[in-house]
Amino acid sequence: MKTMNQQSRGRFLLDRGASLPLMLPATLLVVVFLVGPFYYMAYTAMTDLSFANPDQKGAFVGLDNFRKLMRDDQIFWSSFWLTIRFVVVSVTIEFVLGFALAWLIWRFIERQRLLTTLLLVPMMLAPVAVGLIWRLLLQGDFGMVTYYLRKLGILSQASAVFSSPGLVMPTIIAIDVWQWTPFVTLIILAGLMSLPKTPFEAATMDGAGPWRQFVDIMLPLLRPIIALVLLLRGIDAFKEFDKVFIMTGGGPGTVSELLSIYAYRVNFKNWNLGYGAAVSFMVYLVVLILCSIFYKAVYWKSSAERQ
Amino acid sequence: MNRSYKILAIGVLACVLIIALTPYVWMLLTSFKGRLDILSPEPRWLFTPTLSNYPAVFIDKDYLPLVFNSLIISLGSTVLSVVIGAPAAYVFARSDFAGKEDLFFFFLTTRMAPPISIAVPLFLFFTTLGLTDTVYAVVIAHTSFNLSLVVWMMRGFFAEIPKEIDEAAMMDGRSRLGAFVRVIVPLAAPGLAATAVLCFILSWNEFLYAFILVAFEGRPLTVGIPGLITPHGTLWGQVAAVAVVATLPILVFTFLVQKHLVRGLTFGAVKG
Amino acid sequence: MAVSFKEVTKRFPDGTTALDRLDLEFDLGEFIVLLGPSGSGKTTACRLLAGLEAPSGGRIEIGGKDITDLPPRFRDIGMVFQNYALYSHKSVFENIAYPLRIRKVAAPEIERLVKEVADLLRIGDYLHRKPAQLSGGQAQRVAVARALVWEPAICLMDEPLSNLDALLRLHMRTELNRLHRKLDKTFVFVTHDQEEAMTLATRIAVLRDGKLVQFDEPRTIYRRPANRFVAEFMGRPAMNTIDGMVEGGVFRAGDIACAVDCADGPLMLGIRPEQIELADHATTSSVTLTVDVKEAIEPDTLLIFQNRGNSVTLRTQSNCDAIEPGQPVGLRFPKEALHYFDARSGERLR
Repeated sequence: MKTMNQQSRGRFLLDRGASLPLMLPATLLVVVFLVGPFYYMAYTAMTDLSFANPDQKGAFVGLDNFRKLMRDDQIFWSSFWLTIRFVVVSVTIEFVLGFALAWLIWRFIERQRLLTTLLLVPMMLAPVAVGLIWRLLLQGDFGMVTYYLRKLGILSQASAVFSSPGLVMPTIIAIDVWQWTPFVTLIILAGLMSLPKTPFEAATMDGAGPWRQFVDIMLPLLRPIIALVLLLRGIDAFKEFDKVFIMTGGGPGTVSELLSIYAYRVNFKNWNLGYGAAVSFMVYLVVLILCSIFYKAVYWKSSAERQ
Repeated sequence: MNRSYKILAIGVLACVLIIALTPYVWMLLTSFKGRLDILSPEPRWLFTPTLSNYPAVFIDKDYLPLVFNSLIISLGSTVLSVVIGAPAAYVFARSDFAGKEDLFFFFLTTRMAPPISIAVPLFLFFTTLGLTDTVYAVVIAHTSFNLSLVVWMMRGFFAEIPKEIDEAAMMDGRSRLGAFVRVIVPLAAPGLAATAVLCFILSWNEFLYAFILVAFEGRPLTVGIPGLITPHGTLWGQVAAVAVVATLPILVFTFLVQKHLVRGLTFGAVKG
Repeated sequence: MAVSFKEVTKRFPDGTTALDRLDLEFDLGEFIVLLGPSGSGKTTACRLLAGLEAPSGGRIEIGGKDITDLPPRFRDIGMVFQNYALYSHKSVFENIAYPLRIRKVAAPEIERLVKEVADLLRIGDYLHRKPAQLSGGQAQRVAVARALVWEPAICLMDEPLSNLDALLRLHMRTELNRLHRKLDKTFVFVTHDQEEAMTLATRIAVLRDGKLVQFDEPRTIYRRPANRFVAEFMGRPAMNTIDGMVEGGVFRAGDIACAVDCADGPLMLGIRPEQIELADHATTSSVTLTVDVKEAIEPDTLLIFQNRGNSVTLRTQSNCDAIEPGQPVGLRFPKEALHYFDARSGERLR
């Protein structure tokens, strides 16, 4: 009954011809400025276009670029796996820390407003600014954090974080954790606040202690939100560019060259646009896959539960 | 027992807060420091503040126009996104048509698209149009990702307004569009405002699109900052001053829309 | 073995007093109904017994053992919630099995017990479903099954039928009655519906403003309500309560005059609508009132009379076709059907 009613109302709107003009500009804009570029990218990826080499004016080379990418390009693969490691490690840490913080706030703090607002600061800063801040803090000669790290004996006197290959990625991960843990906290906290009370009371009456309630009731009820947080963070982390670009530019060497930085280098430093498009295409592909999972796992699920 | 747990929890949270805020505070302090205070190997928490960094970079180095560029880009893309996106969101909230949810998802993929993938073709495209190095190119690029945020967020806000309100407005003699513009939009104003502020923030903070599309004339603050970093002798006081100007307004905005932030960050999936 | 509330008080942080020195004692095996309007403290009493809330004062004992500070899981009490509170992510089977899993019952035994209780509640066919796929009545049964499967000594039910539609509610009421007879368990049932209370309870505890007003068997509550509140709360339509004066053994109020066994002075007279009789022809013992409204609730008829601004309701099974609004009708108030309440306090006299 209800759906029929909604449908007939929807038809009514369409019949009046109102929805097309309302819808069209948005759709057009997206098509022209995102779908267009996407297909153009896919096309360019099958050419040898390069601004650096005048001989390569964009002749069609089929899947050569992808073949080369998959088979021979070790830098691509190393930066691909580097990115995957970066995503997995940082999102995991952010999730565990963020969840713990959210739980602490939810359980112990009554007036959460000010606290959560202040916690938001790192994630609301422009990523470029975050990169700068940490570059300043980790300066070899006068960085404030460098000074205290040396004082605590964590960092040796002569070395600086961003010039020690072994320290660069852990540091970048730590900074990403610093920036994005509040995001997890904020959303998990919203989830915790919206939990219904009765399932927990029911579990209490069924004899479940705090731990069982956490595992059997809270985690399953939070599952959609957990999936949402992990996917959103995963997608964003996979696209990470700004901070790392500012802090290390992918170096030293290629130690911190994440996929999007590699793509940037191929496109805009080497001006190898055909091959660069192939790299960009791969980045997009991974994001699209993550995105579909997001849609299936989170959005459908929650909209189905809402009805 | 319970009380001591609570004190422990507050202690942990206080530490977290210190870790979260100190870097930014340090940046703030640095922007008011003279050269010697900055370069001191031992961190100086107390120093004689100076305001000289700000005019040095914004007037002498001519960074002031970048602030206006940032403003134009953010405002422009916000207005465009809201004006174009809100009506589409209304359609998503109110009507049913074949493939609606797929189209809706399609809007999301545009938000998720990695800038590095879209930027190259967009760059070539704007080169053809002769729009590179202008704010317009960036406004359009930012609109494309902000648009989907508007569509996703506003659908939820519109859906929360009972259909009966549209119907009552139409019974009172308004057309569908009239009902939307005169009745629904004012009712959704708080959500609309929050969405607009979020768009503004995202656009203001964005780096990569702008970095690729504009080199000099139209560059916003985020793109201007790296230009101040040189391998030797970076003037950190000035860098910090620019960073402060680039971040402080956003933090103020954040506090304004905090209520709707969760919803915005999760594309409407969590109501917060 | 008895459950007893001893001077139990519950104040909430917002300052409301939900229970005010409640004293209540009942035996295991009974079907106790806590009855009262909203805000009477009935749900609070139930949640205190469950252990979901802690009392602000007083003690709760089971079998002489103080359980006031005992966590719920050690109390041997199961509970059915108003909105069922099923675990939406677990199947029906797992919902029912959950209390057993917590208690580390062996798997085959769980299988057996769940099947058994599911058959008892006639939900054996839905065990694989998720709660979202159940109708209200089925979800209700699952909730009951979950509360009973581990055989707790006491089963609490907090307005379990109020979310069901009318017909289903009657049906579930019958089922619960059958279940109680069969299982011989202690049920504590919270409701605001006097009819549910009447049909289910071995004893009803009527609560009002956090205080126990009357605690008796249903028939006693109906026949000898402790005060005006109980009198009007039990029975539909509500008992007629008429304020008047007694002079020389005759009660007068408006057009009503009838013989009573009471001392002179102000009195509140009570009589149930179904106990007023129609007088075929006016006699000295009858009262004549004018019909204001006639409502046919087949097969009965309600006649509502006006008596100087107050209404008097009569419920009868006799044929009223001839009676029309505006018409005077002779009524008889049988002496044995009269209730006498103190005019000021509303307490029952005798």
